Amino acid sequence: MAIDQDLELMLLVRQGDAESFEVLLRRYRAPLVNFFVRMVHDRALAEDLAQEVFLRVYQARHRYQPEARFTTWLYRIATNLALNAIRDRKGSVASNGFHEQDSESEVARVVDGKPVADQQMMQSDRERIIREAVEALPEKQCAAVILHKYQDVNYRQISKVLGVSESAVKSLLFRAYESLRERLEPLMKEGQL
Amino acid sequence: MMDRAKCLNDEQIFAYAQRLLEPGEEEKARSHVEQCSVCGQAALRYQKLDAVLDEWKPVEPSDWFDARVRAAVASNPSAQSGFTFFGLRWAQVLAPACLVMLLVAGSLIVLRRRPAHLPQPATQQIAQPASATSVQVEDELTLYENLPVLEDQDYEMLSNFDVLSKLPRGEKRLAN
Repeated sequence: MAIDQDLELMLLVRQGDAESFEVLLRRYRAPLVNFFVRMVHDRALAEDLAQEVFLRVYQARHRYQPEARFTTWLYRIATNLALNAIRDRKGSVASNGFHEQDSESEVARVVDGKPVADQQMMQSDRERIIREAVEALPEKQCAAVILHKYQDVNYRQISKVLGVSESAVKSLLFRAYESLRERLEPLMKEGQL
Repeated sequence: MMDRAKCLNDEQIFAYAQRLLEPGEEEKARSHVEQCSVCGQAALRYQKLDAVLDEWKPVEPSDWFDARVRAAVASNPSAQSGFTFFGLRWAQVLAPACLVMLLVAGSLIVLRRRPAHLPQPATQQIAQPASATSVQVEDELTLYENLPVLEDQDYEMLSNFDVLSKLPRGEKRLAN
């Protein structure tokens, strides 16, 4: 089972086994980068933050206690970093409106006028609409939705990651989905989504 | 006939649609939702929304991501474990040794810089042979004999200092 394997691997890392760290790196590189891409909407920053998580895991290996799941610990570090980055960048993102995927879709629009490009453009537009809807959520709701929906973290783990009760996580998720429904349902009816 | 009093509220329907209910609660909710079209429609709305959210596709980390992580870990001081010496790392062994060496070196420098004319301890003075003492006295006499005598100009300059203004002028000095 992957969960137990993660704990075993981390205990081996604690004993100085570099290969076990490599296994964890390969296993969680993509989930972590995607978590940050969805949280901070900037790919370069997302990779920097994911790198920082791995570094912190490595630095804290001697203090690691296998009390909770490895992923709970991993995402607690990641969520704290992401929330700090969002707070730091809030002003600058709002002022320049930078989104990497926006600029990519602009390039697709200009360079190619073929049907394939149109399809890509539509896909990218749908992603942009969803991303903007998730981004508009309050911080904790946003983190809860991303952990629950995209990272496959269960609500008990989310409660430990966010430091709130399990019922609070259910409530956060419900309010987040209600906001998303209000924002996205009209577009779903219009056929944009 | 469906009992509407048993209908779930929005939060319960959402929890059911998102599989957030405990096993017992989930079974109860399922049996109701499967029979109640209103609750069934509400659950379907959440499931459709979930399907829409799936369209936000994941990305692949860049090719150099792993290399960057490895480099960051390698440059971390705690990663450089090095050799061990009876279970202790070299750093743990070398740090006290370096400290001792620094203390010894510092002491040597202080001793070497100690001025030669400082009075020797009484015991050493007593222990010195008589010939050595006479040589030392002669050296000191030569030193005092070669001291330059103050000229009148020097007295002019020195008398500018308040404390020294009461020094006798050259004539008085000569008269004395």
